[in-house]
Amino acid sequence: MVARQSRGDRRELVRERVFDAVSLTAAVALVATIVLFLLQLFIASKDSRAAFGLPFLWRSEWNPVTEQFGALPMIVGTLITGFGALLVSTPFALGVAIFLADYANRRIAGPVKSLIGLLGGLPSVIFGLWGLFVLVPLVSRFEVWFGHLVGSEALVSAGTTGVGLLSAILLLAIMILPFSASLILESLIVVPAELREGALALGATKWDTIQNIELPYIRRSTVGALVLALGRALGETMAVTMVIGNGIRMPHSLFDPSNTLASAIANQFLEATSPLYISSLIELGLILFVLAILINVAARVILRRGVET
Amino acid sequence: MRGRTFKNALMSVLVAAAAVVIIAILVVMIWHIFFSGVRYLNWDFFTKAPAVFGEAGGGVFNAIVGSVLITLVASALGTPFGVFAGIYVAEHEDQRFASAVRLCADALQGVPSIVIGIFGYTFLVARFRSYSALSASIALAFMFIPTTARVTEEVLLLVPSSLKEAAYALGARRSSVVWNISIKSAASGITSGLLTSMARIAGETAPLLFTAFGSRYIEWNMLRPMSALPLQIYIDAGSPYPAQQQQAWSAAFVLILLILLLQYGIRFVISRVLRVKA
Repeated sequence: MVARQSRGDRRELVRERVFDAVSLTAAVALVATIVLFLLQLFIASKDSRAAFGLPFLWRSEWNPVTEQFGALPMIVGTLITGFGALLVSTPFALGVAIFLADYANRRIAGPVKSLIGLLGGLPSVIFGLWGLFVLVPLVSRFEVWFGHLVGSEALVSAGTTGVGLLSAILLLAIMILPFSASLILESLIVVPAELREGALALGATKWDTIQNIELPYIRRSTVGALVLALGRALGETMAVTMVIGNGIRMPHSLFDPSNTLASAIANQFLEATSPLYISSLIELGLILFVLAILINVAARVILRRGVET
Repeated sequence: MRGRTFKNALMSVLVAAAAVVIIAILVVMIWHIFFSGVRYLNWDFFTKAPAVFGEAGGGVFNAIVGSVLITLVASALGTPFGVFAGIYVAEHEDQRFASAVRLCADALQGVPSIVIGIFGYTFLVARFRSYSALSASIALAFMFIPTTARVTEEVLLLVPSSLKEAAYALGARRSSVVWNISIKSAASGITSGLLTSMARIAGETAPLLFTAFGSRYIEWNMLRPMSALPLQIYIDAGSPYPAQQQQAWSAAFVLILLILLLQYGIRFVISRVLRVKA
């Protein structure tokens, strides 16, 4: 009896140790993944770093023929599309979130929320497909119209394909909207009812309440949500790749074909033959990785502080 | 006073207008995808490999097989890591290392998919000198693990602490409390988290571009290049042939069906089965 119990005890102890070790290993593996990514991308971009050094970041020439590579056109393209999309989609995201939280009744809010959820789960490549065959022709028509309006022959003749920065910005704006709208909605819902009711009892209109009570209350979490949405937009790959036009020069207007860091890799990696070309594309990936980690950590810090106060 | 009521009315209209614009765009998108996809569907589409380039006919059976295989293997590789990392964070919630792990999981969720793809290429494909479905699965597992870890943690934290404390009071060790109390009461939450992560990686294209690479043949060997639905959509959409472009729309429709099946269908079946058993 005693012997059997101690054997059971020992077995239980072994199981305990194994369990602790396995879960610790999984946790360490998660942290190690980030280090592994960083190291792997750093090592694989060795040729490019040796050839161009730090100026890679601000050289504006990207020429596979002469093997001169600089990341500036892609960095500019990434920032323009990312911030452009954020600028276009934020008013709508805020509007939809406020509509769902304060105006719509349950019969309307339910289906709209599931529609937004459905769109948020659609794969990037399907947004790209829609963008390429529906949005891009519309943008192209707009470009021709706009070109006639301002009397620009260059625009009418050169900008008629519709692929370029503007299409990418609009498509990205649609793509990040479900994400930012649902995050803003989540924080609107937890605004204490007493605050809202107090304002209304004092004679405030609905909009007064939203403007003076709700929006200040959710300010920090909204900023966090928008930073997360920006992070998504900057790293979004397939949809942008399909509508941005793979331009390798610095863009001069919103109608120009361009590239983001992500789309340049997706568009050119399989065509890249020389080691320096491949390694330069990998260095673009390294820049994008570091950028994404920084933005995500910043967003989490903002959101976490918001919870504490 | 009148200014305030006017502003109130104006803002109501603006807010409603924003909602209407967005709903209209979303409905139009879904409409396009649904009807453009259904129009070209036929039985061959589900059972045959693609026809010769530019010709009509053929199907995407190769891509369906590829998507299912690649997603299943990626989930099988990622599940133990994700679930156990989630358990670790939930069990050591108040410790500094656990919050570092959580931050890493959050940061990894934000890593752009193309970076995962290029990592997969340099880490696996370049090393073993061959494109393969397995390298695509491993790359996707790196996307699967952080989402699974976060969901598992969140679900485990919902388990009432009174249950766990009761078990501890009876002298149970942590492993058996986690195993017999936490995991069992959080099982349905963890399962639906796993299915959501699967649905997410099933739709990814960028990690497959330089790993699975794509194939025009029906391929079952994980060590060889393989097609997948998102990859097929991307390739067909870029093709100049109308037949290929139509195939892209139909493949998109099939991919959405697959994702909805993973996200809602299987979850529904599982919840039914569990309830019948209990």
